[in-house]
Amino acid sequence: MKRHVVVNGRSGTIEIEGSRLRYEREDGVVIEREFSLQGTSVLLNGRSYRVNRGAGKEVWVNGRLLSMEVFDPRDLRTGKGASANHGRQEIAASMPGKVIRVLVTAGDTVEEGQGLVVVEAMKMQNEMKSPKTGRVAEVRARLDATVGAGEILVIVE
Amino acid sequence: MNVFSKVLVANRGEIAVRLVRALRELGISSIAAYSDADRGSLAVRLADEAAYVGPSPSSESYLRIDRIVDVAKRHGAQAIHPGYGFLSENAEFAEACAAAGIVFIGPPAEAIRKLGSKTAARQLAIAAGAPVVPGTERALSDWQEARAAADDLGYPVLLKAAAGGGGKGMRRVDRESDLKSALRDAASEAGRAFGNSEVYVEKLVEEPRHIEIQILGDHHGHLIHLGERECSIQRRHQKVIEECPSPLMGSHPELRERMGQAAVRVASAAGYANAGTVEFLVDRDANFYFLEVNTRLQVEHPVTELVTGLDLVEWQLKIAARERLTLRQSDITWRGSAIECRIYAEDPDHDFLPAPGRIVHLSEPSGPGVRLDSGIFEGWDVPLEYDPLLAKLAAWGPTREAAIRRLDRALSEYVLTGVRHNIAFFQEVLADAEFREGRLSTSFLDRFFERRKKTEADPEAEAAAALAIALSSSASSSPPAREMSRWLDSGREELLR
Repeated sequence: MKRHVVVNGRSGTIEIEGSRLRYEREDGVVIEREFSLQGTSVLLNGRSYRVNRGAGKEVWVNGRLLSMEVFDPRDLRTGKGASANHGRQEIAASMPGKVIRVLVTAGDTVEEGQGLVVVEAMKMQNEMKSPKTGRVAEVRARLDATVGAGEILVIVE
Repeated sequence: MNVFSKVLVANRGEIAVRLVRALRELGISSIAAYSDADRGSLAVRLADEAAYVGPSPSSESYLRIDRIVDVAKRHGAQAIHPGYGFLSENAEFAEACAAAGIVFIGPPAEAIRKLGSKTAARQLAIAAGAPVVPGTERALSDWQEARAAADDLGYPVLLKAAAGGGGKGMRRVDRESDLKSALRDAASEAGRAFGNSEVYVEKLVEEPRHIEIQILGDHHGHLIHLGERECSIQRRHQKVIEECPSPLMGSHPELRERMGQAAVRVASAAGYANAGTVEFLVDRDANFYFLEVNTRLQVEHPVTELVTGLDLVEWQLKIAARERLTLRQSDITWRGSAIECRIYAEDPDHDFLPAPGRIVHLSEPSGPGVRLDSGIFEGWDVPLEYDPLLAKLAAWGPTREAAIRRLDRALSEYVLTGVRHNIAFFQEVLADAEFREGRLSTSFLDRFFERRKKTEADPEAEAAAALAIALSSSASSSPPAREMSRWLDSGREELLR
């Protein structure tokens, strides 16, 4: 069995044959080990690792967090859509929370670094700022709405 | 001891669990107050009774004096323990309890009032002969007054909320051009956090240590101190690691007693009783300056308990029941060293932003010398309405070095997934040479981030993770996941019998 792996943004492959694994990173590092897997416990040549999956791509290994994706290369038919970065910037919430202030409306011109929306969670306020000087194309944030991390609040172009 | 038969815990999270535990140990029935978000909380599960106090926002539940007093009466509580935060330092609440014939477990309302305003507390400390940081002795009325005061003191200065705590409404100002906006921000943050937007200004003591003295006094005029806690490691002016003794005491053996006596003088002058904490800043030359008094049980009280062997909550209950504090100052001894770290649902790699979510997997540390005060369990949704403190992990050892090693060991056992947290970050801090040497100050973490090395991922750990994911996903992808399959399966088995 062979799988593609992306760990903290770096690609690699893992090949599993019987009780042996071969992990190769794009930077040339190669790990070949005898393994045993039971539940969340992994032994590699007898060294003990605890592996727990978190939300999304999060994986905790012995208490350290990795961002990891593992996929079958056969599933990779099409690439992701080209990134739409034609001067259009989507400003997303960096943490889950509640929108407590919306400082701009569509059509406003904004300066780079100008505050757009304030999100509050656990009494911490976080002001989302404009990454560029431009015009507010769209305001999706609604006052008092609960938003998730990564949810687009404002689009500036 | 039969001081009370039933007590309301007017708080949430790990401290509510701590209080429920103490009550059970003393044979006292506990009632856990809860909001909508906390219906499923650990404290509610562990308490004898639970009382709904309102919707999730704390302003509609844990901060509602009327509702808290009302449920205490309806459930037949003789006393209320407010924990920390929320109503714990609210004199009006203490008076409302008294008016309803319920004992407020804490200092007299009058002492809270005297010490609750930082500006009033400063004046009281000056009168009691405790050294203070130069600054305005009352709240600023406008920005011109702030400018004049800051000019007098010389920059950098620190703006602070008169009713504040926990770094809310606090701003460092390095130059006059920043003063106006900093003042506006501090006042609005203070207003939201405390319902009081008064702000005052102080000279900034650069790279100070934050060292506080635990005090304990009864209602019969007897007051002692239980030594210090060093809480210099802070982010956003909030403590994250606390220890007792302070590493500074090694080179300044007389400092504990001098600070302890100053703390006792300030508290006595305010007519203090019950447990409290007198906070000081300590400069590079080991001069100390009175900062404020926290008129409640402190978050970090476990390190004092580990080193002195006393149970502060038990004493709080006895003292509230008007028992005498039978400990003399000479009875207090400090044995070994204890360190605590605050486990938060937050992302240390992104400015410690709060990271609420569901606890997916949890395996908590234990073993010799480890104390865990936790308010979470597997499947618990960490609410976004409150402070993201999940648990406090503390370790005791015969020496500071032993305590550090033990805490590090306990951190390495901790498995917590589903939310971002600071467990691995604490392991990095504990391994830091300056931390090990006890060279601490409130700017420790800023400096730590500057010298922090990007921990290079261990390729073997990556391989272990990739293996587990590759094999688990290929196994689970064949049969489609079924909701509640185990229940259905056992049901089917029943039918086939």
